[in-house]
Order: sequence, then C-alpha cells, then structure tokens
Amino acid sequence: MQVKIVITTIAFMLTMIIFGYASIREPARMETFTNAYEGRRIEWGGDIFHGNCATCHGEHGKAELCYDAEGEQIGCAGLALNNRELLCGERTPRMEAMGWLGTKEAFIGGTITAGRPWANMPTWGSDFGGSLQPYEVGYVTAYVLNWEDEELCAGPPPEPVIWPSTVPDLIAETAAGDAVNGEQLYNVAYGCAACHGDPVVDGSNAVGPWAGNFQNLDEVRVAGYTAADYMYESILEPSDYISPDCPAGPCAGPPSSMPANFGLRMSFQDMVDIMAFLNVDVSSSSGAEIVPPPAE
Amino acid sequence: MATLFDEIRELGVKQALIAKADDVVERVTAGMNINDIRGMLRGDEPRRPNPRLRPHADSFWLHIRPSFYHAEVTHIYPTFRLGWLSTFMFIWETITGIFLMIFYTPSPDVAFENMWEIMSNVPLGQLMRDMHRLGAEVMVLAVALHMLRTYITGSYKKPRQFTWLTGMLLLVFTLVLSFSGYLLPWDQLAYWAVTVAVSAAESHPGPAFIGKNVNLLLRGAPVIGAGGLLRFYLLHVLLLPLLTGIFIFVHYYKVVIHGHSLPPGREAIGEDTAKRVPKDERVYFLPDIMTSEMMWTALTTLGLVGGSVFFYHAVIESHADSLVTPLHVVAPWYLSWSQGWLKWIFPNPLSAFAGPLEFDSKVVVAFGIIPLLAVAFFIWPYIEVGRSRRYADRRAGLSLSMFFITFMLMSNWMGSPEFLVQATSELEVSQRLMPQEGHSILLEVPYDEWDVGTYIADEATVQAMVNAGNLHIAEALEVYIKALEDWSCTKTGHHGMADCVGYDTENGERYTNGVKDEVLVDPYAAIVIKQDQSNVRTITIEIKVDDEEDPRDFYYTRYRHEEAAYEIY
Repeated sequence: MQVKIVITTIAFMLTMIIFGYASIREPARMETFTNAYEGRRIEWGGDIFHGNCATCHGEHGKAELCYDAEGEQIGCAGLALNNRELLCGERTPRMEAMGWLGTKEAFIGGTITAGRPWANMPTWGSDFGGSLQPYEVGYVTAYVLNWEDEELCAGPPPEPVIWPSTVPDLIAETAAGDAVNGEQLYNVAYGCAACHGDPVVDGSNAVGPWAGNFQNLDEVRVAGYTAADYMYESILEPSDYISPDCPAGPCAGPPSSMPANFGLRMSFQDMVDIMAFLNVDVSSSSGAEIVPPPAE
Repeated sequence: MATLFDEIRELGVKQALIAKADDVVERVTAGMNINDIRGMLRGDEPRRPNPRLRPHADSFWLHIRPSFYHAEVTHIYPTFRLGWLSTFMFIWETITGIFLMIFYTPSPDVAFENMWEIMSNVPLGQLMRDMHRLGAEVMVLAVALHMLRTYITGSYKKPRQFTWLTGMLLLVFTLVLSFSGYLLPWDQLAYWAVTVAVSAAESHPGPAFIGKNVNLLLRGAPVIGAGGLLRFYLLHVLLLPLLTGIFIFVHYYKVVIHGHSLPPGREAIGEDTAKRVPKDERVYFLPDIMTSEMMWTALTTLGLVGGSVFFYHAVIESHADSLVTPLHVVAPWYLSWSQGWLKWIFPNPLSAFAGPLEFDSKVVVAFGIIPLLAVAFFIWPYIEVGRSRRYADRRAGLSLSMFFITFMLMSNWMGSPEFLVQATSELEVSQRLMPQEGHSILLEVPYDEWDVGTYIADEATVQAMVNAGNLHIAEALEVYIKALEDWSCTKTGHHGMADCVGYDTENGERYTNGVKDEVLVDPYAAIVIKQDQSNVRTITIEIKVDDEEDPRDFYYTRYRHEEAAYEIY
C-alpha cells in the first residue's frame, strides 16, 4: 500500500509539472492560435473571393484580370479594391463621401452584405437574400483588408497625375486616337462596358448612361462644352455633373456611382483612344478649362 | 450536549479544538475519526468494531461500493480495471466538459467561433478541449473493452444478467454521448457526420411520416441548423449524462449485491461464491482498494494530461456548410462499421417472385441489422444460459466473440474511403495531398520553405529538395509520387507505374493499372506556388494527361496564409 501511495504522489506531482509547463507556454501558444485563426479566415475569404468576387473585381482585386466561366478574359465590372484609397489609413474617401461613421471593416462587410444595387454590386449577404452567410462575409472582408501591406501604404500618397486642363492641351501631348485599342480599353481594361453598355446597342447600359450617343452631346449637357469636353470631364471628375440618362431615370449622386479614380489609373493616350472608339471628335473642343490648373 | 465553549472551559482550547476536529471528521466520513484514518493509511490493524466498514453502511458515496473484495479479483486479471476506468472517464468528461461549457454557446452563429476562441483566447482552453476529446475516445474504448472482458469471463451469466443489461445501456449511452458531442464544434466534420447518421431515420421502411417526423425531431428542421444543434447540445450535456449517471449507480449497486465474479476457474461449475469470501481472502475497500484506485486515478490523469499536452490534438475543420459536402465524409472510428455496412449490397433472394432485386442497404442496416444486433446483445444473458463460465466449456461462444471482433474490425475498414468509394483518379491524388478537410501534408509544409514556382512531382525534384534541406516539401512530393503510382498507369514505361490496360466504355477507351479503374495515363503532375497577397500564397495541385482517349486537365487550389500554422495544428 505504501508503494501505491508513493506512486500516486509521484504521478500527481508529474501531472502538476506538466500543467505548469503547459501554463508557461500558454501565452505564446494562444498568440499563435489567434494568428492562425486570423490567417485561416483570410484563406477561407480568399477562396470565396476567387469563386465569386474575382469575376468583377479581378484576380488580385485590381479590377484588371477578370475571367468568365470559360476562362476568357472579360472587362472587369467592379471597382479596384486593392488600392491605397480603400486599404491605407482608417478611413476611405468613399466613407467620407457617404458620411459613414462606423469602422472600415464594417463598411466593407456592409457593402458586401447589402451590395450596391444601383451600381451592379449584388447583395451578397444571406440576410438580404444573397448566398453568403454572415461568417463568410467576415472571411471575405478579412481577405480584402489583408491586401493592405507596408509596400502599398509606405510613404506619402503618390503625387496625383496632373492632367492637361483643356482637351486641346491633351491632344497636344498625345498621338491620334486608336479606336482599336480604345475598344479593348473600353471593354476589358477599364470595364466601361459593364455600366455604359455596348455603344452600338441602344439600351445595353446596365448602370450609367449609354455610351452610344456621347458624340451627340454637344452643348446638351453643360453650356460651352463640346462632346469631347463633356467626356473628358465625366471621366476625370464624374461627380461634377450628374447625367439625367441612367437606365432607371436620372443617375444617383453626387457622389456619382462612377469611380472617381480613373484619372489615377489611365494614361493620357488611353483617354484619347477611348474617345476615338466612341466616335467623340476630340478636335472640336471649345477649349473650355476642364481641369483646374494645379494651385501654385 | 456540551457546547464547544463548555469543552474549552473543561479541556482547554487546544484539546477542545482537537476533539471538535475529530468529531467533524467522524461525521464527514460517516464513522472514521482522525486516528482511524491515520492508522488505515499506515497499514495498522483496525480497532474493533471495525470503523472502516461503517462508511459502507452509513455514507452515500461508499454504500454503492462493496466493503471487501475477494483477493482474486483485485489483480489486473480478471477485471483489467476496465469498469473503474469507464467510470473514471465519465467523471473526467464531466469535469472537462463543464469547463468547455463555460465558453461555448450552442448556436450556429457563434459555435464555430467559440471553438477558436477556446483555443486561442482561453488559457489552457486547447488542453481542456484535447483532454475532453481524448477522454471521449478512451471512454468508448474502455466501455467496449469492459463489455468484451465481461463476455469472455462469462460474468454476464446468472445472477448478473441484469448487470449486463444495464451495462449494455451504458455502452449505448456512451456511444451516443460521444457522437452527440461530435456536432457541437459546428465544423464540416461535425456537420456531415451527424447529417449522414441522422438521415438513417429517413429510410424507415414503415409509413413515410414516421421517418420524416423522427428526422424532424432529431434535426429540429429539414436540415440541421440552430434547432438541431441545440437538441444535440441538450442531449450531450443534460439528458445523456443524467441517464448515464443514473445507470452507473444501478450498475454499481448490482455489483454490491452480487459481488465481483471470480475468475472462471476458481469456483465449481454453476456456483457463485463471490459473496462468500473466506476471511483470509478478503481485501477491504478501506484502505486497499481505495489506495489502489487513487493510484490508478493519478496514473490515468497523468496519461491523459501528458497525452493531450504532447501528442493528441483534437482537430477542427472549416465552418459547417450545408451546401458543401466534403469528399470522403467518414464516421468516427467507433461507428465506422455502420458506414461499411451501408456500402454492402443486400440481394433479395425472392426477387424472382416479389420485391426489388436488392434491398436498400440503409433500410437493412438501420432497421434490420443494427436493431437485431442490439436486441441480441441486450438479451444475450437470458438466451445463453449455459451453466459453466469456464473457457474450455464455452468454445463456441468464445469463437463467436472472436469472429465478431474480426468482423467488426473489417467492417470498420470497409467504412473507410479505401473501400468501394472512388472519385476521379486526379481528385483522389489531390485528396491525399490536400484533402478538402482535415490534415494535409501540403498545407503543413512551413510557409517559408516554399518558393514561388513550380515543383514537378518526380524523383529529381525530391532529390533537389533534400539537397536544399526542404525536407517537408520532399516528403510531400514523395506522397504525391506514391499517390500517382497508385492512381496512374504508363504507356511509356514510366518508372514505378504499372502498364496501361485499356478497356472500352461508352465514353471511349479507359485504362486500368490492374488495381484501380479509369486511372491517369502518364500524368504530368506538379505543385504550383503563387504569391497572392504579401503574406498569402496559393498552392495548386496541377495534373495533366495528354492521352488522346482520356485527356485530363485538373487544378485544385488552396490558399495558405503565412501564420495559419498548419504545421503545429
């Protein structure tokens, strides 16, 4: 019996030592698991993003590499998500414009859940009839926010491209418009077609005004503007003038549903090429000052 | 009676307090004072009348334990301590389970997150979960082995038939307890294992409304959701522990009434002398059995704690998803046999006259074989009434048990995806490296070991990885190559692969390697690593077959975050 009591005592002490060992390493282990869970949420979000969101927002969220179910490259109908404005800092320009008071995470999660039905973004949350459960929306949000990294957010924000202030100044800096390249830019690279439709099919515009009659908008919209002036302004400063010609009546805004960052994404030549594809006569500009010259 | 103050006045403070403590100890132990306990632990002879017998008569906890045992049943043989171990595991599960209950809410909205919270934010939370899960497996094993031991030593025979019957009930409770706990983490493993098991109710051969309503009762809705989870939770933490606790008491009480059966050879055939223990062969519960149980408690605790800290980690898969069934859903090991039986074909011998060519295996298993077996087990001691417990007289019965064990082990193997379940060859290969759920040798390669690029599954790459010290990648590639050899054939004499043997199907010619059908012909196979985000990569399994008759083009991609830590969990 004494032997049994000795064994009991030793076993008990060993158990306590193991408990002690486990307790000492516990803070480090818990941190590893916290990171692992966050990491796996991002992985699961990546899976969902790849299967659902990448069709419109692009493979790396840059609204550049979008493919249809057959693997053919198509124009990206969604906005670029993997960029400074959305990811760096506490608040995004869009949150400011909308007067969003909550966190960025809630803003992204809310946008995924409720969608932006007026701008092609479907309602994804199951609460509103979409296909993603709330936890899945959380995973996708984590994945999107994980594009934020030091490289992207390092340093001061890039200098904005200074666009020529008038269309004649723009033409002076570019070659003649290439309609063939413009078609590719319109349909695929910038995905304009997703909202503005096929310029030869009236009524094919899903969200914004139809692109087929932009060349006929001389003086119609803004006094003193030609079609080229109007289009130049609409692409660079979409909220300056809200068109009355959206499919369901006057367009929403300001702010306009049209992304305001094309000025950061496209080159001068791209601008002229797209105008050429849409038959907008760049030489007919009234010379109106579209972009204010940078302040001294 | 004198108050404490009277005694202090009479004996002085010290003596009065000692006398009071003695009194309290005697009341708590229902009969033993401090000196009795000290004497008992020193191994002294008890005073007369023996105070060590009084707790068995007067106390609640010891009245269901015999006051003495026959010396013959206190060794490892014939009991192997398995009944004790089963009870110990029940208590163990209760304690660790209560700890886990504190941090768990039975709702699909938060249950899965709760599990990760327990593991990442509760000190010793993972340990508690591991101990609970490991304990559940040990408990199932202990109860099953206890039953086997009882069968082999013939201890179920008269007068212990009813003890056997309550034991059978406890075995069923143990299995259902363990299985109902399966659902609670609300991961894919949980969700689908339980969905499959519960769907058996639907195959009820009687009127359709019975199966439908039983199913509704269990699931709480057409599919398992919030209602089903809450029901399984309540079963797991309330109803089944309560029933198990009650029947453990009944079972123990029967042991007090009948005593432990002696080893079969020790008594004359047909006699039961367990209660007639000669004085010199008595081993008293206090202190011998108690210290012995204390020792086993300490050792088992040490084993379970050490096992959970160093070896055993309960898995958690991805969030339950009622729309995605992972490939190769398997039942837990202790129920895998039933999954094996579901794959069997049950031909109808009378199909020439009536009925279908073969019966639905779900109906036969869930409403034929399993209930028949269960009834047979429950009433076995009332059917098998041979008087002798001796091994030599029970050759048929013992052979039957050995046959049954072999049969169950084989059925268990048949329950695994190895047996009669085949997805396409390329999917099977990718499943071995990177299954949709569960441990994956590819995901477990440390993040930093990979470089972005393509790793072709051949010996040269393995050698290059070994030379570069990337042993995890080398190991994964070796698994890859082995899987390819199992699921491929060669027309070009590829090393390690069997030659292709063609056969015609309605879709054109297909090939077999002699073991599997529709295998890959000289596949090109690789792992492609791409950078997705600055700390996330994608791992893609790529398999291509150029064959004219049976071309394949397969990709399967998983995301891998730098800190996902698959290598440690």
